[in-house]
Amino acid sequence: MMSRRQLYTGIAALIAAIIIFIVPFLFIFLTAVKDKQDASLLTFTLPVNWQLWQNVVEVASARNYMLLLAYFNSSVITVAAVTLIIIFGAMVGYILQRRPSPWNKLIYACVFLGLMVPPAVVPTIWVLQWFGLFKTITGMVFIQVAYGLAFAILLFRSFIATIPRDLDEAAIIDGAKPLQIFFKVILPLLKPVTVTVIVVQSITIFNDFTNPLYYLPGKENVTVQLTLYNFQTQFQTQFNLLFMNILLVTIPPLIVFVFFNRQIVAGMTAGAVKG
Amino acid sequence: MASPKSPYPYWFVLPAAVVFSVLFLVPTLASFWFSLTRWDLFSAQFIGLENYRQFFREPFLVQGLVNTLIYAVLTSGVKTVLGLLLAVLLTSGIWGQGVLRTVIFFPVLVSTIGVGITFSVLMHPTRGLINVVLATIGLHGPAWLTDPELALYSIVIVDVWKGIGLATVIYIAGLASISPEYYEAARIDGATRTQLFFRVTVPLVKPATVTVVTLSLISGLRSFDLIWAMTRGGPGFSSDVLASVIYKQYQAGFYGLSTAGNVILFALIAALILPLTAWFNRKEIEA
Amino acid sequence: MASVVLENISKSFGSLDIMKGVDLSIADGEFCVFVGPSGCGKSTLLRMISGLETASAGRILIDGADVTGAEPSKRGIAMVFQSYALYPHLTVRENIGFGLSLAKRPKAEIEEKVKRTAETLQLGHLLDRKPKALSGGQRQRVAIGRAIIRDPKVFLFDEPLSNLDASLRSQMRMELTDLHAKLGTTMIYVTHDQVEAMTMADKIVVLNGGRIEQVGSPMELYDNPATPFVAGFIGSPKMNLYEGEVARREGCRVYGIRPEHVLITQSEGKWRGTVRHIERLGAETIVHVAVPELVTLTIRCSGEQVVGMGDEVNAEPVKGREHKFD
Repeated sequence: MMSRRQLYTGIAALIAAIIIFIVPFLFIFLTAVKDKQDASLLTFTLPVNWQLWQNVVEVASARNYMLLLAYFNSSVITVAAVTLIIIFGAMVGYILQRRPSPWNKLIYACVFLGLMVPPAVVPTIWVLQWFGLFKTITGMVFIQVAYGLAFAILLFRSFIATIPRDLDEAAIIDGAKPLQIFFKVILPLLKPVTVTVIVVQSITIFNDFTNPLYYLPGKENVTVQLTLYNFQTQFQTQFNLLFMNILLVTIPPLIVFVFFNRQIVAGMTAGAVKG
Repeated sequence: MASPKSPYPYWFVLPAAVVFSVLFLVPTLASFWFSLTRWDLFSAQFIGLENYRQFFREPFLVQGLVNTLIYAVLTSGVKTVLGLLLAVLLTSGIWGQGVLRTVIFFPVLVSTIGVGITFSVLMHPTRGLINVVLATIGLHGPAWLTDPELALYSIVIVDVWKGIGLATVIYIAGLASISPEYYEAARIDGATRTQLFFRVTVPLVKPATVTVVTLSLISGLRSFDLIWAMTRGGPGFSSDVLASVIYKQYQAGFYGLSTAGNVILFALIAALILPLTAWFNRKEIEA
Repeated sequence: MASVVLENISKSFGSLDIMKGVDLSIADGEFCVFVGPSGCGKSTLLRMISGLETASAGRILIDGADVTGAEPSKRGIAMVFQSYALYPHLTVRENIGFGLSLAKRPKAEIEEKVKRTAETLQLGHLLDRKPKALSGGQRQRVAIGRAIIRDPKVFLFDEPLSNLDASLRSQMRMELTDLHAKLGTTMIYVTHDQVEAMTMADKIVVLNGGRIEQVGSPMELYDNPATPFVAGFIGSPKMNLYEGEVARREGCRVYGIRPEHVLITQSEGKWRGTVRHIERLGAETIVHVAVPELVTLTIRCSGEQVVGMGDEVNAEPVKGREHKFD
């Protein structure tokens, strides 16, 4: 039973939220479907001509379908990096939780560093060049893995604590070797955390601008955020296309959010309350 | 169970360790050395602390340092305070609070570049939507991003707009863990709403506060995307921060100087976060 | 089917010795129970036989072969855990067949063996369920099935009935004993419950503080306990045990007499005291008598015995049933 005050406060809050949070997104959408002239007026109005599909096509085909290439690249990087983050991160979380040893302190220190310390960009380029991985997708994948491990390790470690050790022992008696125990018993049971890590890391990597800017310059290996940045100059007078680009870049995380709301929030508040 | 052939072999840690060491630890360690050199990626000439002296001498570099601090403290401060207030509002049972939580969280997930471009359009001094709307109610909107005095603060506003949802959601989780008995006991003792907030809520939500402050401070100090998208550090260098300075020096080919910027950023974060964490943990033991 | 021999087994954690010089021999086909209070080392001993823990010194032989350094899966053992340790994400069929699939046996062979094992344990209709959809007793049987399918030389049970409620426990006790009769395999069973030990074992090993106090058949332990600890551990209600002046008068360090071996007499007997507490269980009655020099004497008598609170009673020990320990 809601009080009068709760109802009115709610309505007032919703109006404020709409103005503050929703209007900008509506602006993006409306501008994205206008024609060039209408969009250049930068007004918050309904389009004179609805050009949704034409604008999509024009943006997607710009500069030799660069956007589509970018989507492809971003997807490849995301899938590869997230897969490695999960396997490598779960393995570390597993050892951290199951095998108490003085080395664990070192691992925790590295995790802490990984969360806090800003990567030294030029030295990293120097290292990448040394391996011939600068400006390559492979290099970008490993960078994302290196930067994303810390968060994943923490999440996996605390979840593995809820898997009883006798499962490991039963598997040992059944003849399982360490890798088999990990992949056939432990990893399947980590599904909830794995989903959270996939969702949060995918969004992070997809939205990443800084790292591709440094480590993937050039147009062969462009990623989604970089195209948005690059097209800013190209679409300087074509706001409709610019905003269509923004819209296209914004949609994937939105879709993920719609389906995985709970996991995203859980992942991002992990550790917040335990203190 | 660490018998001779443990089912938890140490080498499980290797893949992660290799990637992390090579692509994170090694560059970080190397940055200390390279910050003391004039460097072009192929040869490095030792020049001692000259890079650092430049940082504290050249106005455009010093400005970056100062701006970084201002930016971090402002965004962190606003997110911490506003986040808690919003969390309290959104757990008080008002109408539509579930929808509100979703609406306020959505910007967190959206491309920062996209947000930056959008707001730089909205904040255009004459044609931007914000000033147009202000004009209709008779207010003359400022030159948000083109006034050197104002640019940084305009970006701060957008940063808070984008990030407040995360702070709020973390606080909501923290509030949920406070047992209602504390409020009931305090109410029986005759506490007013303000007292309930300051004497019960704030102390008991501390773990969440620690997280919000730490996370927002670190991200504020490292902030790059938004600033780059909205002003490129301009006008001039009035909205430059360390991260954008690092990039600009890299673009100009001054790798040693750029790396020095990295080390300074690292030192800044360490200098702020470590004492903060220690202070928080100590208070917890006392409590 | 095999014998198990432990030679001079020791176990220490760092500088802490928890077990030293333990020797034990279990015959082929025996149902051997390790029993003792918490922390006595019975689980540790079992886990050393299984290979999940290594002995710090000594040898373990299964079926004559030295398995001291061997991996658990190569020792010819199978283990049923207290918590059953069923893989939650696998069906009953996959749980039972897990070991075989790890060994990459052909699918037809696995399917056949799993079916047979499941039928032996009346699990045939549950093969496609996951553990969380099973009752406690069913889960137990799946755990046993997973052990049986390995066709082991020795079965190891680590307190498998502790998680069940009382009625289920006595039913499962009988099922396990029947299983032993049917398979004839050597079984080593760990429990803290002396009732389980007495009713199921061919041979009982009583452990205390990392040492074997006594090894023998249930009745041997009952009739001739070697130490006061064993005497007090086996049998319920506990044997009456007395030290000090009472024992000295009897010419030993500790004097013991079981409650069921004390008779309430009409005429004067060895002891005389006042009834302080009565527990009427129907078929029998437990009487706690305050006897001056003994403090308390517990007597177990028939339910028919007429006795009331505050009564003065005479008590006499049954000849030949008194125990004197040094």
